[in-house]
Amino acid sequence: MNHIGPIFRALLRNKVGAVLIALQVAVTMTIIVNAIHLITSRDDLMSRDSGLDESNQFYITTIGYDQNYDARYVTDSDLDLLRNVPGVVDAIQINALPMSNSGSSRTIKNAAGEDAGDAGAAVYYVDDHAVNAMGIELLAGENFKPTDITWREMNKGDWPQTVMITATLATSLFPDLEPQQAVGRTLYTGDDEPMTVVAVIKQLHAPWVGWGNIEHAMLVPQKSDSVYAHYLVRTSPGSRDAVMPQAVAQMEQRDVGRMVLEHDTVNQLRSDSYRNDTALQSILWVIIVTLMIITALGIVGLISFTINRRRRQIGTRRALGASRGDIISYFLTENVLITFTGVVIGCAGSVALNMWLVSTFDLPRLNLIYLPIAMLALLAVGLLAVYGPALRAAHISPATATRNI
Amino acid sequence: MLTMNNVSKVFRTDTIETTALQSFSLQVNEGDFVAVTGPSGSGKTTFLNIAGLLESFEDGDYLLDGQSVKHLTDKQLSRLRNEKIGFIFQSFNLIPDLNLFDNVDVPLRYRKLSKAERKQRIEHSLEIVGLANRMQHLPSQLSGGQQQRVAIARALAGDPLFLLADEPTGNLDSKMADSVMSLLEDINANGTTIVMVTHDHAQAERAQRHIQVLDGKVTEQHNGPVTAVPLRA
Repeated sequence: MNHIGPIFRALLRNKVGAVLIALQVAVTMTIIVNAIHLITSRDDLMSRDSGLDESNQFYITTIGYDQNYDARYVTDSDLDLLRNVPGVVDAIQINALPMSNSGSSRTIKNAAGEDAGDAGAAVYYVDDHAVNAMGIELLAGENFKPTDITWREMNKGDWPQTVMITATLATSLFPDLEPQQAVGRTLYTGDDEPMTVVAVIKQLHAPWVGWGNIEHAMLVPQKSDSVYAHYLVRTSPGSRDAVMPQAVAQMEQRDVGRMVLEHDTVNQLRSDSYRNDTALQSILWVIIVTLMIITALGIVGLISFTINRRRRQIGTRRALGASRGDIISYFLTENVLITFTGVVIGCAGSVALNMWLVSTFDLPRLNLIYLPIAMLALLAVGLLAVYGPALRAAHISPATATRNI
Repeated sequence: MLTMNNVSKVFRTDTIETTALQSFSLQVNEGDFVAVTGPSGSGKTTFLNIAGLLESFEDGDYLLDGQSVKHLTDKQLSRLRNEKIGFIFQSFNLIPDLNLFDNVDVPLRYRKLSKAERKQRIEHSLEIVGLANRMQHLPSQLSGGQQQRVAIARALAGDPLFLLADEPTGNLDSKMADSVMSLLEDINANGTTIVMVTHDHAQAERAQRHIQVLDGKVTEQHNGPVTAVPLRA
């Protein structure tokens, strides 16, 4: 760093290559900072707590094919079977699986009439085993009673009189109340059909992972007699992978006019649902690494060109007393100056791009901690890129100074 | 000060061996102004490179200021070059992107002298060569003769044991060459030892000692005129 002044002045007099590299570094920084911001934003989305006991749960989807298929009998008997498989904690039939990106929703109002406040909510049709089978926590109120459970026939709107809602949905419907105070309140849906909130659920996700109101969900005490049936099964901790094949085998052994269509863990369901986000993250990582490599190659190219052009000058410096370390230090210092200029411009560029992304796509604001991290990363990349060529330069013979090139 | 005893240097490729210096012996004493001449390929540049610690040699020994340089490390050689030798090159070898001040500063920074001392040395040496008023100029703004004067100032600034000049007037017209030679004579007259490699016999005759090299050996030594010219202001 002893030569920082002359190096800086020399760069100012011969700046085209240096400016181009600094701009490349700035553009790289602008893009990678925002790409990392997007990646971590996706991470935040993907790691949201669904409210389920995911690592101990699996699901089985069946379809009735027999002409005389008795959905109610098969559902009840399948639930009896599943609940008695060793290692199973509990099981329910459910119309839609959380995070499956497929389900149903309704508009829920906090009062009757057209002027009432309302909110959209995902609807899960379940029985009184749901709290235990899903592994959800109730903030207030009580579980459904067995007598609350009715059969829901397809396309018939017998809306039940009780409901459990998530705390977030409660807050949306009753913004002036604590979520727990929603218990006992009456909600309305459809043609002002009333239902009483019997419990508030701490956390439960809707099926649609991309939905802005993913925490708006409700449980309704009804079983479905559709030919399609999803069963959500919760096992004792650590036994899921052993229990799932046993449960599926026992289901398949029963000759009741239905077949097992699909089964998998809830962890896999989550992974599948967020596949697009994972793919986006992968693409962004590829872009980041590619840009880093291109930037590093740009630096290698510039420095190699510079060294070839300055062989006599390097030889002269060696003749005048520069050690090999001095030559390496010279090029590292030069590179730090160029890269530092680039990352400073890149900081401004990163913030500007993020402001545009925020205003245009409603993305979250940039966490400024990424700026120093990216600065250090790019400075490190620059130093690594320049080290090889600098080492070669250091081995230029001092006798080059006396050669007539 | 500079003693070479039977120094040999052989350049090797896969198929060819070329002997550049063969049992080359030379003694340069403090205050000498020695000119080394010889035809192309005679070995005078190899002598200059070895004398300047720019190249290694195989056999013999080379004592610089009483110290054998044969087994020194690259770092030790760099330090010796920096502290004991002032180089003057045929093509001046100034750094085009640095002004005169920064050019003269290059070897001083490698010696890690203080800023104040470097400044004092730079100004003094540029004053000696008559360019103190052009410190902020770039080399491209100077004539060839002036650029060589800057190179001489750079060599002098380190207060070296001796100056090693490689064809110092080779790229100059006769008027500028004469001016540079006069400057070197002044510097020598002031006590600085100079070893100059040149192909120009007329220039060589201006030195105190004239050494001729042929086929890598010293073939002739004779004393030239002693030109004790007073140092110019």
